[in-house]
Amino acid sequence: MRLARFLGYRLLLSIPVVLGIVVLNFFLIHLAPGDAASVLAGESGAASPEYMEQLRHKFGLDQPLATQFGVYLLNMLHLDLGYSFRNDSPVGSLIVDRLWPTGLLMLTAFAAALVIGTLLGLVAATGRNSWRDALISLVSLVAYATPGFWLGLMMIVVFAIRLGWLPTSGYDTVGADNEGWDEVWDVGRHLVMPAVALALFYLAVYARVMRASVLEQVGMDYVTTARAKGQTEARVMTGHVLRNALLPVVTMAGVQAGNLIGGSIVVETVFGWPGVGTLAFNALQSRDLNLLLGIFFVSACLVVVINLAVDLVYVCLDPRLEL
Amino acid sequence: MPRTFDATNFSRRTVLALPLGLAAAASGARAAEPKRGGTMVMIVHPEPSTLAHYAVSAGNIPPIATQVYEGLCTYDWDQNPQPNLAKSWEVAPDGKTITFKLQEGVSFHNGKPFTSADVQYSFMEILKKYNPIAPVMLAELVAVDTPDPMTAILRLANPAPYIMKALSGRDLPILCRSVFEGTDVLQNPSANKPIGTGPFKFVSWERGQSVRLDRNEQYWKPGLPYLNRIVARFIPDAATRSAAMEAGEAHFAGYSAVNYADLARMKTNPILDLTTKGYEMTPAQSVLELNGRHPQLQKKAVRQAIAYAIDRKVILKDVMFGYGLPATGPLSRKFKTAGLYTDAVRQYDVPDRLDIANRLLDEAGAPRGPDGTRFALHLEVNSFGEQWLRQAEYLKQALAGVGIAVTLRSEDTATWLRRVYTNYDYDLNEPFLSQGVDPVYGLNKQFLTSQIRKGVTFVNDTFYSNPEVDRMLGEGAREPDAEKRAALYKEVQQILAEDSPMIWLIDVQYVSVFNRRLKDHTTGPLGTQQAFERAWMDK
Repeated sequence: MRLARFLGYRLLLSIPVVLGIVVLNFFLIHLAPGDAASVLAGESGAASPEYMEQLRHKFGLDQPLATQFGVYLLNMLHLDLGYSFRNDSPVGSLIVDRLWPTGLLMLTAFAAALVIGTLLGLVAATGRNSWRDALISLVSLVAYATPGFWLGLMMIVVFAIRLGWLPTSGYDTVGADNEGWDEVWDVGRHLVMPAVALALFYLAVYARVMRASVLEQVGMDYVTTARAKGQTEARVMTGHVLRNALLPVVTMAGVQAGNLIGGSIVVETVFGWPGVGTLAFNALQSRDLNLLLGIFFVSACLVVVINLAVDLVYVCLDPRLEL
Repeated sequence: MPRTFDATNFSRRTVLALPLGLAAAASGARAAEPKRGGTMVMIVHPEPSTLAHYAVSAGNIPPIATQVYEGLCTYDWDQNPQPNLAKSWEVAPDGKTITFKLQEGVSFHNGKPFTSADVQYSFMEILKKYNPIAPVMLAELVAVDTPDPMTAILRLANPAPYIMKALSGRDLPILCRSVFEGTDVLQNPSANKPIGTGPFKFVSWERGQSVRLDRNEQYWKPGLPYLNRIVARFIPDAATRSAAMEAGEAHFAGYSAVNYADLARMKTNPILDLTTKGYEMTPAQSVLELNGRHPQLQKKAVRQAIAYAIDRKVILKDVMFGYGLPATGPLSRKFKTAGLYTDAVRQYDVPDRLDIANRLLDEAGAPRGPDGTRFALHLEVNSFGEQWLRQAEYLKQALAGVGIAVTLRSEDTATWLRRVYTNYDYDLNEPFLSQGVDPVYGLNKQFLTSQIRKGVTFVNDTFYSNPEVDRMLGEGAREPDAEKRAALYKEVQQILAEDSPMIWLIDVQYVSVFNRRLKDHTTGPLGTQQAFERAWMDK
């Protein structure tokens, strides 16, 4: 009951946030010079003024900005994201088609970074100043400093071209028509390199935050108390320190979930992964405003949902916090 | 002995054409029996925004669309029209009617039979109204008559000899009337699900990934095509495109989908090979446009000085990695085959070119200031790829050599196009201009006074206006006699080279990279922009 009220309240609060984002985006985007018709005509080599007028009329670009905004708002209230004239397709279906690959890549990378990062942080903290600690610190520093696209290209050279273990790019083997577990295996093989390229940076961040956080907790009075009660070192770690030490990591992860959508544009481009990131980039380049606004809207909603989820995770981790 | 071959002009031509065609068709392979089946993966870059090939003429659409849509003709290596959907044709002596006899037994992928009604509808209702090249190529087309289902007659207001070069599926595709009739052509669902008569049928388009085309079992050419499937893959990153070829995942990358910088590495790969064939009817030039309203650039001597100051061989070597040729004038050398190109124009690539450039600038009233600079200009960097930034950097350096200070300005495509073609807020611009299948397309667009059209991209933005050139280009378009036509265009090239409204840098040469297992992929001058009906995969 309490949970339901909390969720309802938070969702209610997020409506003005999302609405503000929508309105702000609409006007920001229209500040960019050039329009979809001129880009399309530019790609065609040459076009007559009539042809460009025809395009502008079709795209609704010949209407005053206020009218365009009104139409846009009205559509949004019906949860209709509009039509991408450049792609000859409704915006909603374009985004939904890309949401699954992006979600898969994001969640895989995010989960891997979170789990492995916290584990490494824990291992480093428990053996402070040992060779384990030094090694993990070194690795995370390198991972932190390596750009994702460079790492991606190097992995392609080594694992796809030299060793031939993994495919270079794409979501699955085109034209292979795999089904069932074959398809899962195929997608998995394609997922490995982009997920690693995306995860490594965050993994390094979480490992370092976790290490610092654990070290901070270990010096606390309640840890001394637990040890005095005669609990084993392992039990102290898993039962007492871990939960408390995770809080800063979760905060960090929540903030960075938004970044992950942005960071995936680069990785998606390198690996030809058919995600929302490349869709957004192309939409911006071609001034496909309906599509771009649709993507902004969807990612704004995603960030709101993720923040909500983070707040819920807090409560699970630390019973002192209340909804 | 060779005299026997000279008996008629015709036989000599055939004999010459045959080995050429064979050599190209084999492309490094020994003549072998084609094998059936298999999937060919080709890289197309960038991903097209639409497959509505008839209304959008972007260069990345035809590699996919021409597998599905066919034209009335194809072209042999001499660029002469050959039968395709049209079995035969006859141009009337006055050049104002062209009668096509159509191929029987052809049907569209939706099962509808192909007739003259489809030709009539395609030309009059779709191509003439919506195709971006139509205002030039179909300007003279008045009507298409259909006396019977297998005869279509193009009626022209004036002779338009260039139409015979534009009948391929790439330039003027034939569409199914019943698919479009009664609908809004630009919103037709077949924009992204094309329905044609071609050797491959459209199956699916996974946005951001690939388009799948399957063998048309009912194709009207017996026994063709050999491949079961063609997949067009889209990979946004240049390095990854190269990697996909090197790993053997993709078999063909045409239209320079692989960066010029990577070609040397591709060449050393044992599973890959390169060809520059298949672009004979895709002439293009990279140029430096000069804003004719700029107080310095409106002086002919200044424009000529800039033409002298640039070493095209450096651009060829460092920007194009040796692919292409230094341009000599407003037409690409690809027009040599049609007899329309001439290099008998003012030569800018001469040993003492820097001295001439400096002298011209001094005489034009643009002396060097105390710091050696004469005047300053902005150069708009072409946004279509990294190589253009490299070219811009060289141009800056070359012009600094004669005392012109250049500042580079890089913007994204929409902003760049708006600045140059709508606001005319530029000094120097380095576009890449495709010249179409006939000079009437490229030359008219760039140099006719009537083509100074605010807001239209890649037309006359240098404000060049010369009544003499206007007149000759008008006559050249209508002149049915090949020799008289060649003479007209020769003179136009000489005048333009002299006036130098823009600087012609490189006759562009595209390159195809292919897997050696793929055979007979390049069988004519349209290369990647015609159907892969004879291509096959060796096991």
